[in-house]
Amino acid sequence: MSMIEFKNVEKYYGDFHALKNVNLSIDAGETVVLIGPSGSGKSTLIRTINGLEEIQEGQLIVNGYDLHDPKTDINRIRKNVGMVFQHFNLYNNKSTLENIMLAPRLVLKRDEAENKKVAMELLDKVGLADKADSMPSALSGGQKQRVAIARSLAMKPKALLFDEPTSALDPEMIGDVLDVMKDIASDSDMTMLVVTHEMNFAKQVADRVIFMDAGEILEDSTTEKFFTNPDDPRAKQFLSQVERH
Amino acid sequence: MTTIFTDNLSTFLSGFGYTLLASLIALVGSMILGTLFAILEILPNKALSIFGHTYVEIFRNIPLLVITMFFYIVISNAIKISGFWSGTLGLTLYTSAFIAETVRAGIQSIDSGQMEGARANGLSYGQAMSRIILPQAFVVALPSLANQFINLVKNSSILAFVAGFDIMYQANVIAGLNFDPFNTYIVAGILYLIITLPLSYYMQHLEKKSA
Amino acid sequence: MIVLGVWGGLAKGASEAKHVDTFDRIKEQHRIVWGVKADTRLFGLMNTKTGEYEGFDVDIARAVTKQIAKDQNIKLKAELVQVSSSSKIQLLKNANIDATASVMTITKERENQVDFTQPYFPAGQSLLVKENSDIRSVKDLNQPGRTVIGAVGTTAIPTMKEFAPKVRVLSLADYAQSMTALKAGQGDALTTDNAILYGLAQQNPGYKIVGGNFTNQPYGLATDNDQPRMIAAMNKALDELEKNGTYNRLIKKWFSNVPGLDWRTLQK
Repeated sequence: MSMIEFKNVEKYYGDFHALKNVNLSIDAGETVVLIGPSGSGKSTLIRTINGLEEIQEGQLIVNGYDLHDPKTDINRIRKNVGMVFQHFNLYNNKSTLENIMLAPRLVLKRDEAENKKVAMELLDKVGLADKADSMPSALSGGQKQRVAIARSLAMKPKALLFDEPTSALDPEMIGDVLDVMKDIASDSDMTMLVVTHEMNFAKQVADRVIFMDAGEILEDSTTEKFFTNPDDPRAKQFLSQVERH
Repeated sequence: MTTIFTDNLSTFLSGFGYTLLASLIALVGSMILGTLFAILEILPNKALSIFGHTYVEIFRNIPLLVITMFFYIVISNAIKISGFWSGTLGLTLYTSAFIAETVRAGIQSIDSGQMEGARANGLSYGQAMSRIILPQAFVVALPSLANQFINLVKNSSILAFVAGFDIMYQANVIAGLNFDPFNTYIVAGILYLIITLPLSYYMQHLEKKSA
Repeated sequence: MIVLGVWGGLAKGASEAKHVDTFDRIKEQHRIVWGVKADTRLFGLMNTKTGEYEGFDVDIARAVTKQIAKDQNIKLKAELVQVSSSSKIQLLKNANIDATASVMTITKERENQVDFTQPYFPAGQSLLVKENSDIRSVKDLNQPGRTVIGAVGTTAIPTMKEFAPKVRVLSLADYAQSMTALKAGQGDALTTDNAILYGLAQQNPGYKIVGGNFTNQPYGLATDNDQPRMIAAMNKALDELEKNGTYNRLIKKWFSNVPGLDWRTLQK
């Protein structure tokens, strides 16, 4: 069953055509990596899925709800679709634990004791149980990102969107974050869409790789096919460029 | 000077009480209204943001005396409003426009990622605003807000024009009887300082902390 | 009665060297220079169209001048100079003016500075109320819940507290503001000199004077101090104006259409 489905989606910023006739279907439980040169529309695409960006034409159905339908309550979709940002976007005025507990408390009305238990388990899972009372300003970039992932997981989402989660991190921090993501990907129920430049991560965890350039999806292949023999010439060129690094 | 104070002790103290009361009411009222209109101003809804902006521009650019007189003389014909309440209402609306500007600047100084993070996390706009954005915006705006509150206390002398029983009003009455405006107004000035100086020191403390 | 505090300080600087006999001076110069108000309706008001001063004080000054000329068999004309409450005593002492007819209450303090004639107008504190008000006199104000409006810095307010201790008093900046506040329903009555109230009552339809004067603070014409000959001449003139009907004619001319005032009670 498809968790996220784009049908002929068009997105404009004024005159700029950001997404061109996007058709894409991601099944529940799938892990999909979205790659492409910067400015290709990857971030825009992933941000339309939880309504941070509006689409102008087409249909975008997430967890059974049509985002382009004005009657759709966007908060309902967001409850089930988490997002991890390049710049973490932790609540600067809340402690680590509060960052994780806030949305379940306000949105899901989760029982306070249960909420705390879940939050502590998640912190433990991302290896930061000792940072429960720290403020975000006292955490390193990698730690912040792991807290952000725990925050998303606390909502028990059906899908998680990762928007370049390691791009703002120092190289030595990246491994810890990727390890957490690999762990999540191993959960067969979780749908994951990851925008990233980490090719090794893609090779290891992705079921499928999507290549975008200039607002268009140019290649949508299984991971193996994409990295061995992609159809699209620009995808080929892109791969050869990143492999050289 | 001390004899003027002791001779008119109850009058001065009652003035001090009314000034303090008007300032407190206007402080709370203008914080609520100012925050509300700051949010209206930055809402994506065009009509609401124009409404918020119009409110702020009107009350920021009309003299406080005119707003106060409007309540005391015009509105009072329809609904009875005493001098005290005319002045306090005028003070609230006038100050709220400045607070709206301060809070709006505070909100806009907060990284947009904070709102996106909260919305993506499932929080409604209102929840994100009240739990995440505003608490951070107020911290940013605090020195400027403290400054607005000092102005508010000083501006409360507007009550004297509409017989609002504040410090300035009582000083006018006393000076009109003892023919010693010089010393009477010095006493009045000291009474205002008792309220404003702690605020001023608090502000300097905040500025040192943030520097 | 309207004491603005400043005059006392100014008066101290008066130059004694200029002290000459006013009566001699007016005979020499064939004129009496009168200080009159320019801002007090019905007493001394500058007509902005003609530039002339108009009012009861102005007419009294002119009539007294004419009468003295007749009595002394000399030529005299009246010259009018605008004075304010705070400047009039200083102007008398500096001999810038010879006499005043400027709504000035005869008080003990002022008698140290200037000489007064006999009273020429029965001034006193009174009340202005809405036409349909149930207040008939100052007694009706002496109950909780009643509010009276006055101008700040006038003696009307402490006086009010003596006559009606239970009333709440609102002091506003000036008469215009006090009147506006009365109209806005901020108080039940406005109190000050009857002279001021007459002007307000005439200018503001729907408002009337009630209860007559509850204090007696009559106006007198004034000269610099120690001027017995000038004062005698002015008193004589005032007596004759009363006798020949001029005084009553002027009372009728200025006060017969003040709402709530029985102007005949002012006649002599």
